[in-house]
Amino acid sequence: MSNKAKARPAPVASEYTPLTARNVDFEWSGTPLHWVPGDPATTHTINVLHLLLPAGERWFVHVYKQALPLIRDERLRADVLGFIGQEAMHSQAHDQVLPHLARLGLDPTPYTAQVDWFFEKLLGDRTLPPGRARDWWLLERIALIAAIEHYTAFLGDWVLGADALDRKGCDPVMLDLLRWHGAEEVEHRSVAFDLFLHVDGGYRRRVRTWGAALTALVFLWQRGIRFFMANDPTLRDGKASLREFVRAGRQGLLPRPGAIARSIPAYLSPGYHPSRECSTAQALAYLANSPAATAAEAKPTPTRSTGGA
Amino acid sequence: MARVPLPRPRTVIALAAAALVVRHALGRGADRSPLWPMPALEDPISGRGRAGSGGAALRMMITERQEAADGVVRLRLTGAELPPWQPGAHLDLVLPSGTIRQYSLCGDPADTTSYTIATRLIEDGRGGSREVHEQLHEGEEVEVRGPRNRFPLVEAPAYVFVAGGIGITPILPMLRAVEAAGVPWRLVYGGRSLASMPFVAEVEKLGGPEKVSVLPEDERGRPDLAAVLAGAPEGAAVYCCGPDGLMDAVAELCAADPPGGGLHMERFAPGGARHRGGVDTAFEVELRRTGTTVSVGPKTSVLTAIREQALPDLAYSCAQGFCGTCLQRVVAGDIDHRDELLTDAERDDQMLICVSRAYGDRLVLDL
Repeated sequence: MSNKAKARPAPVASEYTPLTARNVDFEWSGTPLHWVPGDPATTHTINVLHLLLPAGERWFVHVYKQALPLIRDERLRADVLGFIGQEAMHSQAHDQVLPHLARLGLDPTPYTAQVDWFFEKLLGDRTLPPGRARDWWLLERIALIAAIEHYTAFLGDWVLGADALDRKGCDPVMLDLLRWHGAEEVEHRSVAFDLFLHVDGGYRRRVRTWGAALTALVFLWQRGIRFFMANDPTLRDGKASLREFVRAGRQGLLPRPGAIARSIPAYLSPGYHPSRECSTAQALAYLANSPAATAAEAKPTPTRSTGGA
Repeated sequence: MARVPLPRPRTVIALAAAALVVRHALGRGADRSPLWPMPALEDPISGRGRAGSGGAALRMMITERQEAADGVVRLRLTGAELPPWQPGAHLDLVLPSGTIRQYSLCGDPADTTSYTIATRLIEDGRGGSREVHEQLHEGEEVEVRGPRNRFPLVEAPAYVFVAGGIGITPILPMLRAVEAAGVPWRLVYGGRSLASMPFVAEVEKLGGPEKVSVLPEDERGRPDLAAVLAGAPEGAAVYCCGPDGLMDAVAELCAADPPGGGLHMERFAPGGARHRGGVDTAFEVELRRTGTTVSVGPKTSVLTAIREQALPDLAYSCAQGFCGTCLQRVVAGDIDHRDELLTDAERDDQMLICVSRAYGDRLVLDL
């Protein structure tokens, strides 16, 4: 909170929406291993989300719980509380896919145990003395989350508009999971960045964490695809390849490399604010019709008294 | 000739420190890890699933509906490859209105294709039992979650079971299990009248009159609980399930003279649905690490009370018991769990403070 924060980009007010967690549930028993029909490479590229997100979003929640006492703005505090619940549900929802993958013969545990280590230990609280070291590590992690949220908002926006996945005949439950998640990422895309600006906002830290988050994501993602392709019980010599990635991008089944390359550095522009990218209206429109989100809406709240018969 | 400048000492120290940090962070785990070069967490957290904790829902078909006694129906729900269960377990049944009620499983645990539950119609109840009796018929589909077990059968050299009316449902599979294991047991089974008591023939078949006392109140009065408990063998575990009056009486007797195998009870609503929450009473919550005590009124949650009276920055989010953000560790107290998220193991010493409450007048949290 200093002169570092002088160039504050203004958010687009019309993109703001209050946040609440949705009590979603997905039924996986009917989802096939290759839920993008006939395209294991694309299936597994997207499946890496299920490897990274359970631990990753649990970590977001863990870090943000510690960030709450730093917030001096009531609306931002409400946004962060809503963000925490949404991220907790994302983590739970993706986590439920993992046992289903194991039932289909593709046990993800060797990989997820490492991702667990990555977020719980490497990026965990560590044994730091209270004071400057501990504060620095918290601010660094808040900045990392803001950078990661830049990438997840891009992916969320992409999946909401990826009609090619429908035309290809992808599993509807998986598509609903991805788009419910994507829509909530778009819905809350400004929160992490606003929190980062509120507690620090230093440009050097922004660049540093942007680079670190990108490096970690690329490293973990390519490794995840290779892990899935090598261990898929239905593929003989399963290999991940860059060519497949470009091919799927051209078909609209994955984001195009060009679009990814344009989006990544946008975070560093001095005028950047997440509310200037993506569309809240598109996200809310999807959530209004999402099978999982509408079922969650219809659930009676458990706060009702159910003591009697 | 251009000279390559020597790196500054500060740079060298910074790089060496960074290398040490990375090495320390990776540890020796990386060498043993299945996928080089990252170590794995020894007890992985992700991917364990939450089946049976409210996460996984099952659609089941009602294949049998029978009158088990006056006003009691028994339903058999059939599905494929059902999750296994142990005596004492219950099921969440999602009724057509969306209301969730919990019913004890009273069939055979070895049967992996069907679950059996029983429920009594309560004329003046708030509709849960009425819905079961009026709307669930053979051939219809219902959604269930679970099973979960909050009333497990512990190992003991002998058992005393005390059941009242529909409270026999979780006890019945226990009787079968202990009889099969050859462990000595006794059952005292009370009820208003013989015609209103379900499963009388089943329990009498499991043990003769020396083991089973069926005591309809209109014919034989109330059971002499003091005599039953006094006659319990050394080290016996006491299991009790039934109306509140019966359980309070047993609890009082056992408090005065604790049985060697402990007292185990399951709270029950009159229709046979497990209590998913007792009455909303006021109680106190001690925050052990903070060193303060807050009072929770009948109309506020533990979360609200703590945020208003002690810790304004305490994290929460959904306030409805599903996101898990407000999870706290409980040091002491009888927790009245009302969430849909936690597993049985987690419920032993943790609670979601946004919806769950206390049975007694005090909880102690590790906060």
